[in-house]
Amino acid sequence: MPVATGFVEKSALAFGLGQEEALALTLATEEIFAYLCHISAPGTEVEIRCRSAGYCVDTELIFDAAGFQMRAFNLTAIPSVADEAPVPDTGLLIASRLVDRFNLKHVGKRLVLTLIKDKAYPETCGLDMPAAVPVSHFSIRRPEGEEVKTVYRMITRYCRDTMAPPSADFPGKVADIFLSGEIDAAMALDGAGHMGGVLFWTRNALRVVECFGPYVLHPESDPGMAIALLDRCMEEIARSGAVGLINRYPGTGLPPGYFESLGALTFCTGDGVCLDVEASYRHLGEDKGISVWAHPDLVPFLATQYERFTLAREIRRVTTEGEESAPFSVLSAEVDRFRHWTILRPLDYGEDHDRVLEDHVRMLTREGFRAIFFEMDLSHAWQAHFTPGLLKNVFEPRIVLPYGGKGDLVVFQHRMDRQA
Amino acid sequence: MITFFSPEKLLPQYIQTFEAYIPSRPDPELMKMYRCSRLFRLNNNENALGPPPEAQEVLGRFAPKKAALYPSGDAFYLREALAARFNKGADQFLVGNGANEVISFVIKAFCEQGDNIITADKTFAVYEWVARFSGLEARLVPLKDFAFDDEAMLAGMDERTKVLFLCNPNNPTGTYWTLTRLRRFLDRVDGRAVVVVDEAYAEFVDADDYPDGMALMETYPNLVVFRTFSKMYGLAGLRIGYLAGNSAVVDAIRRTCIVYSVNRVAQEAALAAVPADDHILRTRQMVREGKAYLHGELQALGLPFISGEGNFVMVRLPFSDTLAYRKLMAQGVMVRTMTTFRFPNYIRVTIASMEAMKALITALRSMLT
Repeated sequence: MPVATGFVEKSALAFGLGQEEALALTLATEEIFAYLCHISAPGTEVEIRCRSAGYCVDTELIFDAAGFQMRAFNLTAIPSVADEAPVPDTGLLIASRLVDRFNLKHVGKRLVLTLIKDKAYPETCGLDMPAAVPVSHFSIRRPEGEEVKTVYRMITRYCRDTMAPPSADFPGKVADIFLSGEIDAAMALDGAGHMGGVLFWTRNALRVVECFGPYVLHPESDPGMAIALLDRCMEEIARSGAVGLINRYPGTGLPPGYFESLGALTFCTGDGVCLDVEASYRHLGEDKGISVWAHPDLVPFLATQYERFTLAREIRRVTTEGEESAPFSVLSAEVDRFRHWTILRPLDYGEDHDRVLEDHVRMLTREGFRAIFFEMDLSHAWQAHFTPGLLKNVFEPRIVLPYGGKGDLVVFQHRMDRQA
Repeated sequence: MITFFSPEKLLPQYIQTFEAYIPSRPDPELMKMYRCSRLFRLNNNENALGPPPEAQEVLGRFAPKKAALYPSGDAFYLREALAARFNKGADQFLVGNGANEVISFVIKAFCEQGDNIITADKTFAVYEWVARFSGLEARLVPLKDFAFDDEAMLAGMDERTKVLFLCNPNNPTGTYWTLTRLRRFLDRVDGRAVVVVDEAYAEFVDADDYPDGMALMETYPNLVVFRTFSKMYGLAGLRIGYLAGNSAVVDAIRRTCIVYSVNRVAQEAALAAVPADDHILRTRQMVREGKAYLHGELQALGLPFISGEGNFVMVRLPFSDTLAYRKLMAQGVMVRTMTTFRFPNYIRVTIASMEAMKALITALRSMLT
């Protein structure tokens, strides 16, 4: 145990986490490691790796999957007094709450659990920033870290009617993410160095790149700037192996003809003002055509969407024919407390899926979340079995994101206005 | 006991960040998925006339029993025929499993970790890919007026630059360097690096000032020329191409050459195709007629296009090229999207039969209205 915790703590501090965050990551590791040693996988090998991504530190624990209670990682999990071993489960629960995000994935018969802790950043404060001026003759290049922070502040001031890109409240965090290579950017500048506009992008899923913008900082700048920024983005990612480009933050406006509209998702502010945000998409290459799994209840929606986008898909129906299911379902939750939304993603399917969904909705609604999404990857047949429970819990399918997961991704949104 | 194995741990860093290229499904699968009853393949710049009659005849009488025998390991007879046609020695040729394979031969022969190659950003992707998955830097020079930029390529050279790749005429823009321009470039490279001129589309070029790389290599020993049987000679399905160069350079490249990689059928068909000059004339005629038709129709539709040398034309669309691909597929026309060539919203169309050209125009017209 001291070796495991010492390694994680020293790594976290060396990678730049503050004392508080490093301690939280260490404690989370300690809880998992203790559970593995005493309950889940005693006498087996556990591999621990730490990695810095600049703005966060990841700790990976790789171990035998058998006996590991993934359900403790449900946001709604509570220590069960009925369980034979309530104390160890509580340890997993504590661990899941100590970190900012976690991932669980199966690799053969082993599990890879990644615990992620972000660095703490100060919010942006009233710093001076350059004036936005019309830029007519410009060139495009990748910005530097300091320019990224400046342009983020400029977006929040000069593009007020637009949705600012994520993490806009923490320009320092964005600069670190940029330096880590997780996001990339193209910036338009004139000969005198005036910033005219910017576009950011990041590879947010297996095969899809998400772009934010373009943000043209002055309305009288060259109207070709948005196109030039998008072209640069596509030139950069064209041969990266990514298959699609999605945009949910259109900045000051997407040029016509570049994207197809997938539909809209509804976001609401804390005071209840709701806004439909369109998701736009384009393939980067030729669609190869794939097969997808769907519950019969979802087939009409999918068929309509695929027809609308001329996407070649073979829809395979999942069935339930009396076979056994695992007892427990597990969902991961990505939350944005500033913008009051959360995304649920299935990690495991079990008999209690209906109740687990219901519990998540109740808890998230109580905690003030105004938008609850559920992402279903149609490449996994088991995920399709969540469909009846989602529909019963007044989720509705809103958009299909081609190749948004391993296969196509359906995004369901909870209809709060129809909640029982 | 089942051991835990993560291949990622063993992969070099430059492979971890590299994505596999996933080719299209076979035509029958695509037709089933897009629910079309016929398919015009205008995506790969194949020759709609097929192989020359001489090669077709060889293919038709190929004795199945010969499939049990290994082919000539170094395409002996084919190299002899190429030597006779181009008035060179047989040792000046290396035959590969498509021109793609000879790209690998050259890079493997001359480059090691820390070296770089130079090519254009908007050209045939394989030079860049092979360099990257060999752990080498691929320096990409932006096209200038849709053509390779000689000055920028020269400016990008340093002491670790080993190979410069020029696609002449360029795929997909069809632009080419004239004899004067290529000579000037070779003079300024001055033997510091190997210059590869990929002439995959050379047989389609009508222009008088188009340089003959085969002749130039006698003056410039660092010049290597790529040719293929996939385009003009209609043997793409058999995968056969070759390189030619100065004997000493070819001897160096031969050290990394995979022998026996070119099958017997391909060698025999290519051998029969070498003297097929009538086939070249017929194909050029088809391309001329197809281009003339396409130019007129595209102008009438108000679609800008780039049409140079080669059996292809690039068309600028007012919408996403990848959406166009799907809609055209639904109408039985397959084109190449150009976003992956770093030309967003362009498609590249192979010039083929008049029936195929008319089907393309009909489909484009329906998408624009």
